[in-house]
Amino acid sequence: MEIFEADVLIIGAGGAGLRAAIAATLADPSLTIALASKVLPMRSHTVAAEGGSAGVIQAHDSLENHFNDTVHGGDWLCEQDVVEYFVSQATPELIQLEHWGCPWSRKPDGEINVRAFGGMKIERTWFAADRSGFHILHTLFQTSTKYPQIKRFDEAFCLDLLVADGRAQGAVLLSPSTGAFTTILARSVILATGGAGRVFRQNTNGGIVTGDGMALAYRHGVPLRDMEFVQYHPTCMPGSGILFSEACRGEGGYLVNKDGYRYLQDYGLGPVTTTPRNKTMELGPRDRLSQAFWQEERKGRTLTTPNGESAVHLDLRHLGLAKLKERLPLIRGLAMEFMGIDPADTPIPVRPAVHYTMGGIITDIQTATPLAGLFAAGECSSVGIHGANRLGSNSLGELTVFGRVAGEQAVKFAKEAPAVVANKLVDQAKAAAAKAVALRDQKGGGERHSVLRKEMAATMERGCGIYRLGTEMQETCDKLAELKQRAKAITLDDHSDVWNTDWLAAIELGYQLDVAQAMAHSALERKESRGAHQRLDGFEKRDDDKYLAHSLAHYRGDGPPEISYGPVKITKSQPGTRAYGALGEQLEKDGTHA
Amino acid sequence: MNESRPYRRPQPGNWWAKPPYRAYTARELSGVAVAIYGGVLFAGLVSLARGPENWAGYVGFLKSPTSLALHVLLLAAVVYHVITWFQTLPKTMPKLIVNGEAVPAKKITGLATLLAGATSLALVLVVLGVTR
Amino acid sequence: MPDPAKRELRILRYQPGVDAAPAFGTFWVENAENLSVLEALQSIKDTLDGSLAFRWSCRMAVCGSCGMMINGAPKLACSTLLRDLPPGPVTVEPLNNFPIERDLVISVGGFVKKIESIYPYIIPKEPRTIAQGPYLQTPAQLAAYESFSDCINCMLCYAACPQFGENPDFIGPGAMALLQRYNGDSRDAGRQKRLDAIHGEDGVWSCTAVGICSEVCPKSVDPANAVNQNKTNSAFDFFLRFLRKE
Repeated sequence: MEIFEADVLIIGAGGAGLRAAIAATLADPSLTIALASKVLPMRSHTVAAEGGSAGVIQAHDSLENHFNDTVHGGDWLCEQDVVEYFVSQATPELIQLEHWGCPWSRKPDGEINVRAFGGMKIERTWFAADRSGFHILHTLFQTSTKYPQIKRFDEAFCLDLLVADGRAQGAVLLSPSTGAFTTILARSVILATGGAGRVFRQNTNGGIVTGDGMALAYRHGVPLRDMEFVQYHPTCMPGSGILFSEACRGEGGYLVNKDGYRYLQDYGLGPVTTTPRNKTMELGPRDRLSQAFWQEERKGRTLTTPNGESAVHLDLRHLGLAKLKERLPLIRGLAMEFMGIDPADTPIPVRPAVHYTMGGIITDIQTATPLAGLFAAGECSSVGIHGANRLGSNSLGELTVFGRVAGEQAVKFAKEAPAVVANKLVDQAKAAAAKAVALRDQKGGGERHSVLRKEMAATMERGCGIYRLGTEMQETCDKLAELKQRAKAITLDDHSDVWNTDWLAAIELGYQLDVAQAMAHSALERKESRGAHQRLDGFEKRDDDKYLAHSLAHYRGDGPPEISYGPVKITKSQPGTRAYGALGEQLEKDGTHA
Repeated sequence: MNESRPYRRPQPGNWWAKPPYRAYTARELSGVAVAIYGGVLFAGLVSLARGPENWAGYVGFLKSPTSLALHVLLLAAVVYHVITWFQTLPKTMPKLIVNGEAVPAKKITGLATLLAGATSLALVLVVLGVTR
Repeated sequence: MPDPAKRELRILRYQPGVDAAPAFGTFWVENAENLSVLEALQSIKDTLDGSLAFRWSCRMAVCGSCGMMINGAPKLACSTLLRDLPPGPVTVEPLNNFPIERDLVISVGGFVKKIESIYPYIIPKEPRTIAQGPYLQTPAQLAAYESFSDCINCMLCYAACPQFGENPDFIGPGAMALLQRYNGDSRDAGRQKRLDAIHGEDGVWSCTAVGICSEVCPKSVDPANAVNQNKTNSAFDFFLRFLRKE
């Protein structure tokens, strides 16, 4: 087995991983940074983010506003000290991206332009048309090529972390193109592997978003925090789940039911206005909008698409062709290519789909996990800014702000850490490789991972959807336990070495099942409704007495995870009523909240 | 142990004769017509230098049915070349930005073709005027 | 009368160490009217043959993973719908002009090296600190390079380029689009450095303005424009350099 010695190892080369790599090399150019990704960096799912990234830039906005929007949006389950740090660093990071070449959209005078987004008091979303994530990712990737100290391992699949003496010291990678294994030894490790939305059926995520890093940390004893909070994005393509950006509504799009009625006014989001009004109607937060869809569906006021999915209409016609071409070209292209609809003259059928995992690997404000030497940043982590519901356009900012912190902290740790214990680690790597090979070669069980994956996605959608019931969540937990057993009997069609994607998918399914279990059990245990976790079985209210607390899922091998709770850091915003629309404006005027 | 053996499929030698490359091949071949016509003109220059008799022979050739047929063919090929060349033009020049927006390729092609047509027409009129 | 719900896919298969050369395999997919080529491949992999290898991720034509030859033309499998293809069998092959690693998976390392070779990052005219804020860039200055920044690195243009087919070392359309993206950026001063990297046969001069690269581009990047503009730039640079020496 090939062995590569690095100072810092970063797993995942999306927005967070690339930002971490650049930060690490700038922090100490003498260090070797290994950057491993299971795909080419520009394929990472950051690429699919559309709307933009929040950072205070207008004179009439303030960090205080961004803080409040974030904490209220998260239904007070945010780490407020972390949010304070985040909002203070978001704009500098966006400027840094600008210096690196990110083609942000501009005002006529050449200044940065911003757009409105859901749940936001003042417009502060920086955007590059509706391809913001794409441009951020490519800018970071291209900038990273400037630094020869960043040694990339493209298309290298991570099988396991190497942990010795209570310290993360590397990882073992599998190269799909050869079937060969590589051990990376490092004095600190950053996980930046993204989310886990593929455990659900209808989702906006790319096929690679399988929770790998979450599962790896979890299996090594690091708790996954707040995993029950899974964000449904309200405007996605029925069937495939492909995303239609929140920018559609930021630019003034309407959501209407089958009668052409702007139904959000029935769910505390009014008053109805023809032009976009911040924190009102279509510019409400994602959890509320997805919940409103669910209610409309129950009332029979949604339409049915030819493939049998319920949907409402996203109406962009009044924006006009010129604005669609300038501000939402990707959205228009998606509707035309995939649905044969030009949004300039036809409303787009949309429905909610799973978009984002608010929870993840628990870290402190410096992105350190409880396992020494292991850091995490981006969607795989739970640094604490999203709480129970992420505000749109806070995730891209998170990648750069905490990607940078992770890079700098991992360098600091690496420089102080003792040398790695190569022998022990290489033995571990060999064992991990042997386990993977055993999975590839095992015969006789007859289970197909594709079948198990479909069953997992179906049970997650049923039990952990927009609204949840104790009985259904219990069924999901039971089903996941069954699937985990059956997964032991997976037999592959492919037993070869080169580009055995059958094999990789089976390993990914293992990651997904562990993450799904953490989600389902965390959801079952939270007996209240908050943000994206809404129950209909007697726990319809938020319960700050018992559940103003982070859930922590602890891995327990073959058994179900153990759920415990940790404190929430409150600095300046005491939990209050979370309201939008007219009520929100009233409460704000009274100084009581929202 | 390592079974990776990337396989290279050679590009077929006649790729230029297949779609979608045929249009390109035709454009390039029509360029030859320009060269041939250049040869015709050059022959005229040479015969002019050799004296009136030689020149008369050249003019006689120009009036022959063979020459007329050749000229019709050459004209068609040159016109084709001109049209396709202007279709390629937007791909060979820096982006034209007017009022903060890139001018679409079709507009550039249309304008340039129009300009070429107008100049050619003017030239024909001038020549007809001079020779009258 | 053929059943529109069923569709035949002829897929070029190659397994190194087992097959001496690639050969077509035939599969039938159900419910074909509603599927993209990518979804058809996924359904084959899930239910018929798990060993079929292909790259994919975003499903929405932005990650650039799933480029392949579909009925002989380079396309993204995710945004090519079966119902939009002419009736009859659909052929699916790996991208032309690249080494085939397995089935529909081609080697991408050469392409990545090319984009790394042209200094694909801002070399600032005037360095700025974060405290100084963003550079000013007017919409017109943005429009000068914006379309080139839309390249998703899917490599369809390389599969369409006969000159890349002849000369695998040709820098090619995609990398040139990236070069022009930075050379055209009002914040950048790296033009000379990048031009130095693309003189010569493996640089811009392999291009004969075939132009199909721009036609197959799923993002209207117009890489042919990037290449041909830089032929002019490269030529000017050559003569200017000559003058400078005197």
